[in-house]
Amino acid sequence: MLISTRWLSRHVDLTGITPEQLCIDLTLSTAEVEGLEPFAPQLANVVVGHVRERTAHPDAEKLSVCRVDVGTGDPLTIVCGAPNVAAGQKVAVATVGTLLPGDSDGKNKIKKSKIRGVESNGMICSLRELALGDEHDGIWVLDPGATVGLSVADALGLHDQVIEIDNKSLTHRPDLWGHRGLAREVAAIYGRSLRPLASDLPSLGHAPSFPVRIEAPACSRYLALAIDGARALPSPDWLRWLLLAVGQRPIDQIVDLSNFVMLDVGQPNHTFDRRRLAAGIEIRMARSGEKMQTLDGAARALAPSDLLICSDDQPVALAGIMGGEASKVGADTSELLLEVATFDPVVVRRTSSRLGLRTDSSARFEKSLDPTLPLQAVGHFARLLRELQPDVRFPSPLTDVGVWKDPARTLHLRTDRARGELGTEIPDEQMGAILARLGFGVRAAGEGLDVDVPSARATKDVTVERDLVEEIGRIHRYGNISERPLRGDIVPPRRDARRGLVRRIQDRLAGTAHFHEALSYSFVDDGLLEKLGLQDVPHVVVVNPAAQGQDKVRRSVLPSLLPSLEANRRSHDDVRLFEVGKGYLPETANERGEPRERHLVGLVWAARPPGKRAAYDAACFSQLHGTLADLLDHLQIEGVLWREAEIRPTWAHPTRALEALAPDVDEPLAIVAELEPAVLAKLGLSGELASDVAAAEVSIDALLAAGKRGSRYRAIPRFPGIKVDVAVALAEATPARSVEEAIASAGKGLVASIELFDLYRGDNIGADRKSLAYHVLLQSDSKTLTDKDEQKFLKRFEDELTKIQAELRKG
Amino acid sequence: MSDPSDQSETLARAQQEIAACADVASVRAVERAYLGKQGVVADLLAEIPKLGAAERPAAGKSANLLKQAITSAIAERLQAFEGAGLDASRRGEGFDASLPPPRLQRGSLHPITQVTRELEDLFQSMGYDVLDGPEVELDYYNFEALNIPADHPARDSHDTFYCRGDGHLVMRTHTSPVQVRAMERFQPPMRVVVPGKCFRQETTDASHDHTFYQMEGLVIDRDVSVAHLIGAMKTLLRGIFDRELDVRLRPGFFPFVEPGFELDARCPFCESGCSVCKRTTWIELLPCGLVHPNVLRAGGLDPDEWGGFAFGLGLSRLVMLRHGIDDVRHLLGTDLRFLEQF
Repeated sequence: MLISTRWLSRHVDLTGITPEQLCIDLTLSTAEVEGLEPFAPQLANVVVGHVRERTAHPDAEKLSVCRVDVGTGDPLTIVCGAPNVAAGQKVAVATVGTLLPGDSDGKNKIKKSKIRGVESNGMICSLRELALGDEHDGIWVLDPGATVGLSVADALGLHDQVIEIDNKSLTHRPDLWGHRGLAREVAAIYGRSLRPLASDLPSLGHAPSFPVRIEAPACSRYLALAIDGARALPSPDWLRWLLLAVGQRPIDQIVDLSNFVMLDVGQPNHTFDRRRLAAGIEIRMARSGEKMQTLDGAARALAPSDLLICSDDQPVALAGIMGGEASKVGADTSELLLEVATFDPVVVRRTSSRLGLRTDSSARFEKSLDPTLPLQAVGHFARLLRELQPDVRFPSPLTDVGVWKDPARTLHLRTDRARGELGTEIPDEQMGAILARLGFGVRAAGEGLDVDVPSARATKDVTVERDLVEEIGRIHRYGNISERPLRGDIVPPRRDARRGLVRRIQDRLAGTAHFHEALSYSFVDDGLLEKLGLQDVPHVVVVNPAAQGQDKVRRSVLPSLLPSLEANRRSHDDVRLFEVGKGYLPETANERGEPRERHLVGLVWAARPPGKRAAYDAACFSQLHGTLADLLDHLQIEGVLWREAEIRPTWAHPTRALEALAPDVDEPLAIVAELEPAVLAKLGLSGELASDVAAAEVSIDALLAAGKRGSRYRAIPRFPGIKVDVAVALAEATPARSVEEAIASAGKGLVASIELFDLYRGDNIGADRKSLAYHVLLQSDSKTLTDKDEQKFLKRFEDELTKIQAELRKG
Repeated sequence: MSDPSDQSETLARAQQEIAACADVASVRAVERAYLGKQGVVADLLAEIPKLGAAERPAAGKSANLLKQAITSAIAERLQAFEGAGLDASRRGEGFDASLPPPRLQRGSLHPITQVTRELEDLFQSMGYDVLDGPEVELDYYNFEALNIPADHPARDSHDTFYCRGDGHLVMRTHTSPVQVRAMERFQPPMRVVVPGKCFRQETTDASHDHTFYQMEGLVIDRDVSVAHLIGAMKTLLRGIFDRELDVRLRPGFFPFVEPGFELDARCPFCESGCSVCKRTTWIELLPCGLVHPNVLRAGGLDPDEWGGFAFGLGLSRLVMLRHGIDDVRHLLGTDLRFLEQF
């Protein structure tokens, strides 16, 4: 909202307060000031000139050649094209070198020029050229008393500074949506007095009062004042300048006064053409299917939740939001009806949200306006109109109908408690003085104060004792409160198992495994879901997504990481990403309707496909499997079993998919899989970006449920062991695990470790066969093993191998 | 035939050859020629049995002396080479000090994670619990319980993503819903912080994203005052910026606190105004305030017995300030070129 300091000073004396200081003080005590701009700085650049003589241009019929005195000695010769320029006028002159507001962002610098052979030394300005209006039918003729040579701003006293206040910080303050309310704050801050505002009604006639019937409780008060003989004349300068300063375009006296009253006391109001309201006014809710055309020309389909002002059952205004086209005041309207009412904030807000029609009026009504304000606003309007147009008549008594209650109330303030809550020693008297400055009534009562809250503050903002504490604190200034340390029992914070686990996972993956942690959006794109075959799975859906096709909230983390692979592979040969996040399952909501929340880690590993000579386990799938095995070991999960995945995610390879299980845990701890080959191309990973991609998902919930083996020290072996390398040829279909079992069995308790180091397939092994090579460490804790022990082991191993149709490869 | 007991000529020749060697390989060749299995010395020794008994001892002795002399000459020569090699190494031959170090494979933690952990640790060190709350939240906790009933104008500024259904689910617009959840779960007094992901339906640009991270703080105790709030916030800022920063509290409106404040800190990046503080020398850091009595009631607490304060810290903003990140969209962009910088 824009606040003019000149306008403010109509209500409170600002002498000695710079606009800058005012902004700081308002920010610290009242509301956030977002900016301070001088009003129309161009007015300081143009000067008052006196047109000494005007002659016709010798070569151009429509141009005049003027001799203009700007107080610098010889009058300037200026060529002017305006039809209304005349000798004797005081005018606004932009001399050579003056900067005027440009058409767009470019500035317009006045230069000496020759116009049809006559030299021109400046420009006589119109309001439009000064960016102060749309009128372009002539130059701006100033008050004859303006002093020649002064800047126009100085001569007309137009200096103004405009303060912009953040509307959000006024959400709870309906009283601050007008200059007077803010002036009350200024008065309280500086301890000055608010100037009285005359708002008693001028004399009214005795014709029957205008009939108004309220049929909907959403209108609690409706004032209607009939006005005769009003004319749509241009507004006087004082009114035009104030409106311009706060960004309102002056139209005519009727419209301008209506705006002025709203911006002055914060009460929206509306003027109707009374001839269109012959049947009087009734206020009712809309019927379904009903339509009306609003002042902006739009046809509005109405809903039964909309409050309407009607005449003869036809809507003439959308209550509190916008008037209707049909009852619009025209240039020839002299019989008016002024409406000043109180409407239900929720009803106004719902309709304005539903129609996307936010107006200065609706913004105020939805904040809960003071129901006593309309009477003041009517009086204010009527008095101002009478001042501007002394002929105007008010033929009948004011109509004032409705059922409303004055919200003014008395609150008791426990002053000790207020001091305790603020944490500072403010004496009762000082509290009382602050509240009184803000317009509250204050009386000592018992151990505190009884505080009368004026109606302007009582609709919403000040309703409980704590609200008074805020009033005292902000005027006292929070900066005057010294900091104090918190005190309390020293208790260690609760241990959060999940948070601890997450940290260990992040550290292991970012550390040992060289993964980069990513965070991504929770919304998943329809296109992506389709690529992954997840389009038919239930998702939590938002009704107002940020972008079309991004209305689904992810069920798991992994899908969010996959779309990044294409771009990341463009810049990197090896891409390892993980994310810790949440997924939501709407189909398993609890009794309160909350979808089941899952805590997950998603991982992807994409790399250039391994070459022919690459190690047998170079593929991302193997490496990611290793990463997860290491992670589960690091987390000391007990009894981890890896096996082919039973429930294969849609993104996973049909066979190369493994899951890790733990005893007594329902869901797998982790799933790791090569990416389904068809998905790769859909993700753009083909051609020169062809990639080997593995993905995994880890369930933090399952990890928390799994048993932990704890960490126990193992004694360092006292006797040296023997390292034996064995290579075994066996059928492709025989699992490696059976070889490992054979090693363990042949070792008779001496096998300290088994490590696969090669997997080989080739002609010398035979078709459908493979060769597995292991490092085996034999170790005893009672003696040093010898060659003999090795020979015995190998002999038994060969026997074991025959049981699985495998043989030891020699040499 | 020469005198087998006089090998001085052979020795002289060998010494000459050894001296002429330019590298280790040629010394080894000389070594093989004289001391190898078919070398000169081996031949001499093979000849000895053919000699007369009287000549044998002298011949043997002289052959052995020859062998020793050649061996030591070779060793000396080799040592000289080695010394020269060490000298060359010491002189830095073949060393380029400007070669870059090999690049190790590394991973990284997201900057949001890093700053979240720092703050969690800071708060835990002051006795705060770290809590978590759902991102898909009940309207009740996100708004109603926080003194923001349906149709309250304050809902406007929340730009809420509403979930399909009967309207009771939203994407949480702040971490504040955990306030009442915490009051329902724990007995006061309590000190908690809640880091997490939040959502606002707003147009995305370099400084706005519809998804961002916040950290909520809540302290519930008897006799908690604005003075305590100021103290706690100053401590927090000392922890974040590692120095004393001036702060100011000014009124701010948030329906779940009363009084509500915006806390500004002196811009840590300038003294007289910069682009970060929009030339005001203050940066808006923390909305905060005393917990509204209605919120305490929603949490089942008696506002005459308990009081408290709450604050919200923008983690995304803090990360951007700390690292000078000029586009908030990088944070959730999953671009390795961004992530690997941290």
